[in-house]
Amino acid sequence: MGRPVGIIGVGQTHHGRRRDVSYPELVREAVLRAFEDSGLDPSDIDGVVSGTMPSMMEGVALTHFYFADAMQGVGKQIMKTETCGSTGVSIAHTAYYWVTSGMADVVLAVGHEKMNEGDAQATMTTVAEPFYQRYFIAGAPGVFSMQSQMWADRYGIPEEKIRDAAAYISVQHHNAAFDNPYAHVKIRVTPEDVKNARVITYPVRLLDVCPTSDGACAVIFASRDKVKKFGRKAAWVRGVGYRGEEYFFGDSDKGLWQSAAQSAKQAYDQAGIKNPRKELDVAEVYNPFTFQEMLFYECFGFCEPGGAPDLVLKGTFDRGGELPCDPSGGVLCTNPIGATGLIRVAETVLQVTEKAGDRQIPGAKTGFSHAMGGVDQFNGVMIVGSRL
Amino acid sequence: MSKKVAIVSVAQSAGAESKDNFYDQAYRVTRECLDKVGLSRDDLGTIVSASSDIFHGGISCANAYYWETTGAFLKNASRQDGESLFAFMYGVMRILSGQYDTCLVIALCKGSENPDNDACTLMFGDPFYHRNLGLTETTAAALQMQAYMEKYGITKEQCAQVAVKNLGNALRNPFAHRRGKYSVEDVLGSAVTAHPLTELQVAPKSEGFVAMLLASEKKARKLTARPVWFKGYGSSLDTYFLGDRDLLKTELRNAAARAYKMAGIKDPKKDIGVAEITEPYAFQELLWCEELGFCKPGGGGKMIEKGITKIGGALPVNPSGGVLANNPYVSRGLQRLVEGYLQIRGEAGEHQVDKKVKTALAHGTHGYAGQCHAVAIIGV
Repeated sequence: MGRPVGIIGVGQTHHGRRRDVSYPELVREAVLRAFEDSGLDPSDIDGVVSGTMPSMMEGVALTHFYFADAMQGVGKQIMKTETCGSTGVSIAHTAYYWVTSGMADVVLAVGHEKMNEGDAQATMTTVAEPFYQRYFIAGAPGVFSMQSQMWADRYGIPEEKIRDAAAYISVQHHNAAFDNPYAHVKIRVTPEDVKNARVITYPVRLLDVCPTSDGACAVIFASRDKVKKFGRKAAWVRGVGYRGEEYFFGDSDKGLWQSAAQSAKQAYDQAGIKNPRKELDVAEVYNPFTFQEMLFYECFGFCEPGGAPDLVLKGTFDRGGELPCDPSGGVLCTNPIGATGLIRVAETVLQVTEKAGDRQIPGAKTGFSHAMGGVDQFNGVMIVGSRL
Repeated sequence: MSKKVAIVSVAQSAGAESKDNFYDQAYRVTRECLDKVGLSRDDLGTIVSASSDIFHGGISCANAYYWETTGAFLKNASRQDGESLFAFMYGVMRILSGQYDTCLVIALCKGSENPDNDACTLMFGDPFYHRNLGLTETTAAALQMQAYMEKYGITKEQCAQVAVKNLGNALRNPFAHRRGKYSVEDVLGSAVTAHPLTELQVAPKSEGFVAMLLASEKKARKLTARPVWFKGYGSSLDTYFLGDRDLLKTELRNAAARAYKMAGIKDPKKDIGVAEITEPYAFQELLWCEELGFCKPGGGGKMIEKGITKIGGALPVNPSGGVLANNPYVSRGLQRLVEGYLQIRGEAGEHQVDKKVKTALAHGTHGYAGQCHAVAIIGV
């Protein structure tokens, strides 16, 4: 197999409505923090992987041109990875393959989005093709609401219970965000606030939905020799998985979601993980919608199909629970899409290297990160560990 | 490199507007590429595609749209944006990782449904400084051409000869979009696009669905008797603001040096049998030849005059007709590599070069005046 790959530096912006900086400045903020964190210099980098959501998002195409300088990428090898919402994890995968293949020793991965300069829902509407789907699949909430309805119906889960569990998740994550200095939305909410919030697309309400964030994230991947040479504590990549399925929304089963289940399985197989709920110490699940997070728990084998709401309400996925999920506050509190998947990776790296500050899960050794994209269609996973 | 990666099969579509839809075209090259070596979709390991989004083709997250047609259903696939040689390299990495023994690399561009090339390249510009100037790949290239002619005394006739050669070569390439027997006068007399560039010196807007199957050494030997091996690769990115750059000393030097080092190439003009270069503007073929080390800086004009780069020359450049003849924006880099593969295998048909080709170079570039370059070397 390929060479071991370690992650030796992460940097992220203070996410939010960043009117104070230009888009390249936002990118630079994350990149410089990754250098600060790793103690490396741009001259140590062999290659840069850049990635973002589609060009309609901010109205600039092929942004690796625009950010060449901000990424410290001038004169460097370059890759540009783009897989819609799962871009962040796909960037991490590209950097991983670059190093594990032996084609580079040190690679900087950069994901970014300045969503307040565009209209994300309008952009996402253009992910649907113009003939059949675009007229009724407008933006993200519609698709994900349909999916959660399908899931609830499949397993006969009472609406009340799902509503309670989703509200519970919202409260937990909004509380967690207060311990994450980089998180965007920091508000205290009660279950009643969530249940009475404005409906976006039934049953999804405002406090079930992620915000529109500006943000960037940078992560440095290195070969084992380089990790030693730099003398850095590394998080080691133990498994990567990715799957995609049918483009036409009605063609696939979103209740038992194949791309989610199989991407996780691929990563588990590589990492030798048989019982994820026991063997994982922390998970950063891509959860722009509370309802969807429960579906992911099931697809990833954290619990049985249809069993997530009960376990959520029992506190299994709380910060002090059996498998803490999204202690960063997750996507629900911060979502600069092109960076979001990479932030999930970065957060698990911080956890397994014990650098997560107030949001640290004590003794976390194995972390699971995930992102989703396409027309509810792609799932990507990366598992990192404190040891190989 | 202890492990080797081979190209074992290729397929491409024609560059002219097709009445077939995107799905049919994508499916056809995928199918053809796999069928040529008898590989079923079930046995295919992974897929890396190259395409660009909404401004090219009207759909965001374009790989969501074509996912199944490229064989990717419930497979681990990924995608590169802007330059299809990136996708090639990512495919090579995935095989070298030991996780996959085959990778389909596919580039997709339905140019006939896209807006004009420069409507897209205008969007590379930041909205505050560049875009209001109307800076595009074409206007940036016009500035670069002026600088090139002025610095080295390259003549506009020498630049036009590139178009004469490449559009002439394209007469022998059934996939070419634009072809013809033109004179230097015809080229210089065609409509001015952005002075000093004229229409026949500027690449068209083409369709291009290009597929390539990569395999590990062990698998390659099972799939074909004549694998073509990956030898080297390099890319490099230049600084963003056009005014900050020396347009005649480009990052192609860096990209090429990396590829040559990996491939063990000491003297490119001797070691490389044929080169397929991305020259969306005729003069760029001359400049890129210099930057690739085929001649000294400023020597590009003499090189074309002496006929060194024609099909029967000592170092044929763009025997397929190049990008001037066929310009499916994102797919063009991979298409250059496909042409290099065909030349090495002796399967280039009427545009096969006269000599035996052992090593081929493929070059891709995108961005204003070549902000980004990628170079791949393959051989027997």
